[in-house]
Amino acid sequence: MAKNKVSFKLKSKLSELDTLCQHLERFGQSIGLSPKCIFEANLALDELFTNIITYGFNDKKEHTIEVTISHQNNKLIFNIEDDGIPFNPTKVDTPDLECTIEECKIGGLGIHLAKNLMDEVCYQRCKKKNILTLKKNIKEAEPAKKRMKG
Amino acid sequence: MEIIEENQSGINIFKLNGRLDSNTSQGFEKKIFQAIDDGSKSMIIDFKDLEYISSAGLRVILKATKALKREEGKMMLCDMQDYVKEVFEIAGFDSFLRIVGTMDDAIQSF
Repeated sequence: MAKNKVSFKLKSKLSELDTLCQHLERFGQSIGLSPKCIFEANLALDELFTNIITYGFNDKKEHTIEVTISHQNNKLIFNIEDDGIPFNPTKVDTPDLECTIEECKIGGLGIHLAKNLMDEVCYQRCKKKNILTLKKNIKEAEPAKKRMKG
Repeated sequence: MEIIEENQSGINIFKLNGRLDSNTSQGFEKKIFQAIDDGSKSMIIDFKDLEYISSAGLRVILKATKALKREEGKMMLCDMQDYVKEVFEIAGFDSFLRIVGTMDDAIQSF
């Protein structure tokens, strides 16, 4: 039977994005997630992880970021913990998406993507750690449900 | 990530293969800006074999498109997988970048 929970540690370097992707793909395939869902989860976690290691640490030491992924009741739940400086991505403003190319700025875009691809993003600061909990609703493999309204 | 560069009737074509994320975007940025520095004004980025893109990849494409525009050049993006296209849409980039279905469409736009 497929395990419904996986935990792993990532070092604070960009090359760990490949490790993140491998864990996600393995877990996603084991519980039968669609490639689209794996892609979206990968992108959200990538953006938040990249943000943590780019801006989260003031020293040159190597840090560890802990990730847990679980699957229950048609929901994927992701937990990301780091010991970096306090940072709450849920408070970051959405970039102006109606702008022209000249006005377009890239800041905040990664977090905007992550929020968009998840159904819930919660932040807590606890015991000198940033703890992010993300939830993503997943559809059942078969289109069994039909919308009753509309 | 692998980047194959080709030149077809004066158009610089970049074929991306693999994953364009914050780990690989610098290499891509270097290549594309080298071409702009060398005077290229017409570019196509072929997304056919690109499996993944993050905001780091979008950033390079935005920066290069702006640089080309200043030189009165043009950039076309083609053949994106649905998931990849969705990232451009969520970012709002589809409103100002020129995204077309196929390589032929991209070439004919020049």
